[in-house]
Parts: sequence; structure tokens; C-alpha cells
Amino acid sequence: MKRARSSGADAAEAFAIAWTTKSAYIEDDVPKVADDRQEAGLGLRVARGKRVAFTSTTLASASDLRPVIAMAIEALRRVPEDPDFAGFPAESARGEVAGAWDAETAAADIADVIEAATTFTGGVRDRKGASVPKAIFRMQDYAIRVSNSNAVDATHRGTLVFCATTAKVGSKDKVGEGILKALHTSLGALDYAAMGARVAQRAAENLAAKPFKGKMEATAVLDPMDLGEMILQTVGAAANGKNVHRKRSAWIGKMGQEVASVGVTIRDKPRLPRGLASCVIDDEGSATKDRTIVQAGILKGYLSDHYHARLLGVASGNGFRRAVATVEGAYARPAETETSNLVVEPGTRSLEKLIAEVDRGVYIEKFAAPEVNEYSGSFAQEVRNATLIKDGELREHVKFALLSGNFYEGLKKVVGIGRDLVPTHAFLSQPGCAYVPAMAFDGFELVGQT
Amino acid sequence: MTDLLTSAVRELEKRGASFGDVRLEDRSTFLVRIVNEQIQTMNQVRRRGWGVRAFVDGAWGYASGTSNSASAVREAARKATAIARTNAEAGVPKSRLRKMPSRTKSVEPPLRIDPRDVSVEEKIAAAMEVCRAQRMDRISSTTAATMHADVRFELANTWGAHLSWREVRARLFAVPVAAEGDRHESVTKFVDGTGGWEIVKDVDGGAFGREVAAEAVEMLSAAKPPSGLMTAVVDPGVAGLLAHEVMGHSSEGDEIVKARSFLTGQVGKRVGSSLVTMYDDGTYAGAHGTIPFDAEGTPSHKTAIIERGVYRGYLHSLETSGVMKARPTGNGRAQDFSRRVWVRMTNTYFAPGKAPKDELIEETKSGVLTKNWVMGMEDPVGGGFQAVTQSGFLIEDGEIGPRLRGMTLTGKALEILKSVDMLSKEFALDGGTCGKGDEDYVPVSAGGPYMRCKVIVGGG
Repeated sequence: MKRARSSGADAAEAFAIAWTTKSAYIEDDVPKVADDRQEAGLGLRVARGKRVAFTSTTLASASDLRPVIAMAIEALRRVPEDPDFAGFPAESARGEVAGAWDAETAAADIADVIEAATTFTGGVRDRKGASVPKAIFRMQDYAIRVSNSNAVDATHRGTLVFCATTAKVGSKDKVGEGILKALHTSLGALDYAAMGARVAQRAAENLAAKPFKGKMEATAVLDPMDLGEMILQTVGAAANGKNVHRKRSAWIGKMGQEVASVGVTIRDKPRLPRGLASCVIDDEGSATKDRTIVQAGILKGYLSDHYHARLLGVASGNGFRRAVATVEGAYARPAETETSNLVVEPGTRSLEKLIAEVDRGVYIEKFAAPEVNEYSGSFAQEVRNATLIKDGELREHVKFALLSGNFYEGLKKVVGIGRDLVPTHAFLSQPGCAYVPAMAFDGFELVGQT
Repeated sequence: MTDLLTSAVRELEKRGASFGDVRLEDRSTFLVRIVNEQIQTMNQVRRRGWGVRAFVDGAWGYASGTSNSASAVREAARKATAIARTNAEAGVPKSRLRKMPSRTKSVEPPLRIDPRDVSVEEKIAAAMEVCRAQRMDRISSTTAATMHADVRFELANTWGAHLSWREVRARLFAVPVAAEGDRHESVTKFVDGTGGWEIVKDVDGGAFGREVAAEAVEMLSAAKPPSGLMTAVVDPGVAGLLAHEVMGHSSEGDEIVKARSFLTGQVGKRVGSSLVTMYDDGTYAGAHGTIPFDAEGTPSHKTAIIERGVYRGYLHSLETSGVMKARPTGNGRAQDFSRRVWVRMTNTYFAPGKAPKDELIEETKSGVLTKNWVMGMEDPVGGGFQAVTQSGFLIEDGEIGPRLRGMTLTGKALEILKSVDMLSKEFALDGGTCGKGDEDYVPVSAGGPYMRCKVIVGGG
């Protein structure tokens, strides 16, 4: 940062991150590939007047600094002015959120990760005929430092555990597969044998599932993991101050209006204990704070990074670069407005109670890929693990069907909210995380083969 | 850097790896994204590092890092070998690799305009032109971006190979948002490929931006798509999703070895109508997934997956070739130096037919025509297909009717392929990135002709 200023920048911001990764890949029930990776990188933002440039590099040694600074200063000469740029953050915070970094996880070696993977495999194989075609277990230990020319100098460290697993059952002619993901900040906190049992159960249900025929407009109870992704794609995008400022949000001009059912409250909680995205500073060094986005169905606030906070007249603290499934590549993009831990306030009902209240509907545990249009809210997703509900009871398992509807409209037709929060991550390496319970929606349509 | 490679390979041999390799990458990426005619992001990224693999008793160990020192790479070679041994002790079934002839070769891509020779101002101006052209009534927000990636690879292995090559890709894209009342619609359009800055420069930016913005505005009055099983004329992008997501992923040799693919044991069997021929072709000039070598140093290859409706075979890495006693096809790919190698596709497509596209429409009494894809998802186990489109049109009595909102197509892939009864002569490939499950993204393309088939349609 100092060198950037002495090379011609008025102001500078440096984001440095170093991390280690240990992974084990299970294939056909055994650890097939394991790895141990280390990387560090630097993202550098420099400014001169209203001109701003961003460059980044892997950091192998101090000699990597010279080219990245030279590239940034050269870019400053060539970019047009940004009339809305008003400098880097000047306020920061110190401290740690409980459980964001776990000492035992950080100290784990590759054998510990392999052990977690083999425990999971044992859980799957406890079901007769079940096996693990592939699964990944990964642990990351990372540390960041953000400094800028306004004297912000803040640090954060965290641990992340990511598991993406499959199980299969059946014969050569007919196979059923289950898919299950899990995320945590602690390697020791997950029950790997129970995960194995659950994904094997999903595989068995998938094998037993019959193609759904016809159409049905019915209550849909959605499992938290995929629902979390749908909420990040819609609420996360619509409440994003960058999108609001750039007129790319579906919730522009809706402040104070009803955007969800009265039972729905959604907050961004960056200081959630053990939260995957938890930290006292965002990736610009600004202090984080809980924000209410939707209170009892009414839109109450937008999230913002430092740049857009001034333009929108809202608080900053949501400038992020780190994803929660992996921190890889965090240094290679500038901080932008993103959610931290987006939390849907849980209800009091268990999943069983939610289902018991449905006369006619479908419980969906897994979609092929949750994908909602962030602008219009429309979606149509193939179900992979789904079970019809009749008179409050789970009946036959179904597949080869689409659940379709409009998610923004669906948020106004929430008829039940579960009590157990499950974390999920945003698509790819995009920052953002959601903690969501199972929820029941009216107004969606299940379409099968006719 | 050659010393670094040699040093790692010697260490792998010394530590007793039956096979090992080390791959260096030096990756430079430039991106400028302009929103509402203001630069939102201009990003220049340099990422360098190396990954070492060791194969011991049928198990793999990987280690990677970024340090420039030979001792760090040697230490990684030691670590990779030790990890492989730990894995093998956990009970990995015996596996084998197909040994490839050792070669020394260096490949430079054919570039008309090397992106390194293009000024930052020109790159910004190209995106700005596309962004400005999107300005029109009911467009609430405009976005355009240009990017290019330039990656240098160097690979050596314990069989004596020493290869170096360079991959350069460029992309231009536009994403306008149209709004009217409470309704918002967006359309994404892009041009990309392997090659130099000419990929962007050859595009008429003004026309490109206007066309995509007009389409977003048109989407504001698009109707909800019909739902159910129906005739669909799928565009080349959506045909490509069927090729890539279902038939392609399910033909990846590692899925076959694990018996996780519904295509296991299907070689020689009919899987589609006699009109259907499909390839994976890493040699396709200029396509986004084109590579001179895969991440194991195997030269890229054109592989027939389906010929006239009959299933022909699988895609392979060195390991799946060894296990299945097949020839490597150049499909062992990795996202980057720090990621593992999987069997992955390159450019995957259905071969074109002979009919003009309009004939497919004229001969369809009722159905839908799709327009551009958003995403697809693989289902190698079940053979199910899911493709989300940006929009489409109703077809009524052989004519294109009202525009439809985005729809999702689904069904069993083999039933869809067996229902194919017309293919157009028009053909296109769309570039993108492909993940294995949730991660490990590599550049690919997929495509084909306009294809008429029966499929389940649903829309939100």
C-alpha cells in the first residue's frame, strides 16, 4: 500500500489472504485422491482523484509486489474518472466472532479429513447395497488482512468445512442416487455417519421414486439447502444495494411495502456465532452489523458496500469477496455488495409438523439445480428427491417433474416456517451464505410427464 | 521454470511414485465490466502456481503451491507421494494408467490480435460501445463486459514428457435489464472463443447491444410458457445442453468406471434416432473449449460419442483409459494448478442436419421454439435432462407465435433423443464453463443444430 502511494496513487487499499486447503475425494467407497494446497494472494485497489483501478496477484514472494503495483498505476492512467467514487472506508473494527475460526479444525491434518470421509462412507454402507460413487470433504484455514490509506488495518481469520456427497443404491439396471451437502466452520461438529445415513436414505427414495404424471398446484415444502440457494438468488439480489443503485433489483422502490408473508423476517447477520461468513469486518475493513431486510413481510433495508452506502444513504459493512464454500480466488476480485449470513427467522415447527399441516402437496429435498431468475423471480426446476404429501402424511416418492412458479410471489404465500436453520452457500465462488429453515409455500405448480 | 519441473519429477521418482507429473500455470486475466455506462469493475489478475501429482498403488496424492523455489516444489512432490501412500493404505482398489509416449513439444495458439497488444482504452471502449447501444425506452439498466484470459502451461512427467503450451480466450457480453411497473426481465448474450482480441473486435458492438436490449424489452410482454409434454424446436444452445449435460457428462469415463452413468454398458446400442450424431472435439478451431493438450499432457482429440443414433463410447483420462483398456482421448482436465484432474468434456455437440431452420418451424403444428439457454444440470445416474432457457416462442400452425418467458425443458434424455425427427443445417456452438458437481470449472462449449424433439416443458 505504501509503495502504491509512493508510485503515484493518492489512496490505496490492500487485501491480503493466505490459506491452506486439505481435501479428500472418495470414489467408489475409498479415498481416491487427497490434496494439500497452500496459496496466498493480494488484491490492490488504488485511486488518484476520481480514478480507481484494481489489480491482483498470487503472492509467492515480495518480488510479486512490484508488477502488481506497476499494473495498477498504469491502469490508473487509462481508466476514466468515476464521479461517484468518494474514497475508501475510514472506520473499522477489531475482534473475532465466536466460532468463525476453530483451532482444532485449523490444526487438522490430511489424515483427519480422510477419517471424516471414511466415517461418512461407513454411514452410507450401513444401508444394505448402498455405496459412495463420489464425495468431497474439504477443510480450509484462512487469514486476511485489509489495510488502506485511511489508517484502516484490520484482520480476520476463519475455518471452513465443505462436504459435497453422493450415495447410490440399486442394481446395474436401475440406480438411485442421493445428494447431500454440508458446511460448517468446525470439522468436528458434523456427524459424518449420520450424513452418510441420510444421503443413503435419499438414494433409496430416489430409486423407489415413480415418474410424476399430470399437473398439481399444491403446497410445496422445500428443504433448507436448496431453498437457501433460491433465497440468495432472489432476496440476496433484490436487497443488494449495488443492484438497487444500478436499477437491477426487483425490489427497487418497495421500501416499506409488503414483499413477503407476515410471518417472514429476514436479516443479514455477520456476527452470527459459528457463521460461515461471520466476521467483525467486511473485506473492505468496514465494521459489520446485523441488518434487517424484511420484518414481518415488510421490506426494511438494503445491504451495501462502502461505495454504494453513501449513494443510497444506508450503512456499509457488506463489501465482500470471500465465498463460504471456498476462499479460493477471493483476492482476485474487488469487494462488492454481498450478503454475509442471510438468516430467515426460524419458526417453531419441526419438519414433521410442517408436513402434517399440508393437505395436498409435495416435499422437495433436492432439485437438480436451484435456479431462479433474480429479476423476474420465475423458475422451473427439475426435482430429484421429492415426496407427495396427502392429508399431512408423506406418500409416494416422485421424480421426472418440474416445480415451477414465481419465487417473489411465493414469498408472499408462505404458509409455514420450520425451526431448524441449515447453512447453504451461493453459486460457484460467489460470496454469500444463507441460514434457512424448511418453508412451505402455496402457489407453485408441479408438472410431470403427461 | 524447467529446472523446477525437473527437480519435482526427480523427487517423485526418488520417492517411489509409479507415475507423477508437475504442471505449472501462469494465468493473466483482464476484465472490464461497465454498468449504466460507468466502469463497475476493471480487474487485472495474475495467478501463478504449480500442482504436483503422485500415483502410488492405485491412489493419488496432490500438492500445490505458488512459491518459486525448487525446494518448495520438491517438498510438494514428497508430500504428494506421502498422501498417495496414506490413501492407498486406506484400501484403494488397484488401478492402472495407460502409458503415453513421451514427447517434447511447445504449442503457441494462432492469434490474429494478441490481447497483450491491445490498449486498456480500446478494451474499455469496446465494452462501452455495447453498453451505450443498450440505451432505449424501458431499459432500466445496461451492462457490458469484455474479458480475456491468457494461460501458459508447462508440464513434465515421470514418463519423460515435457510440454509447454498457451491458451488464450476472449469474451464480450451484454446483460440489459428491462422494467415496466413491477415486472423486470433480463437477457444475456455473449460472444467468445479461443483466440485473440479479434473475437471482440469482429463484433459490431452497436448492433450487438441494440439487439440484446430490444430482446429484453420484448420479454416484458412475453407470455407464460405452456406446460407438459410437447413438440419443441430447440435452438443450438439448448441442443448443446442436451449434448453436454446428459450425454456428455454420462460419457465421462470416471462415471463409467464407477458405474454411476446410465450409459454404462451401452456401447453399440441405439440411444437416439438415426439422425443423431454427437462428438466431443477438443481440436475444434476457435471454440471456447479447444485445448492443445489436456491437464495430463495428452493431445486433444475428436471423439465420436453417438453415430447415427448408436452409442459409440466414452471420454478418457490416463487412468480411465488404463482401467477400461481404451485409448486416452485428451479429456483429463483440471480447473487450475491447485485442483484435481477429472474426466471432462471440451467442445460437445450434435452434428448438423440438412434442412433449413425454417422448415422445422413450418412442419410443426404446435409446440415451442426455445431461444438461448441459462443453465443446465447433469444427471449421469438417472439420465434426466434439465435445461433452463432465457425465452422462446410458441409455434402455432407452422408459424412462430408470441414470445414466451424462460422455460425449463426436462425429461429422459434417451426418450428425447429417440424422438428427434428433424435437424437444421444451421449450427452454432456456445461457450461457457462446466463444473463437475458444484466445482472444478473448465472452459467448454456445447452446441448443435436446431433440433425438433418431444420434451416436457414448464415455466414460471
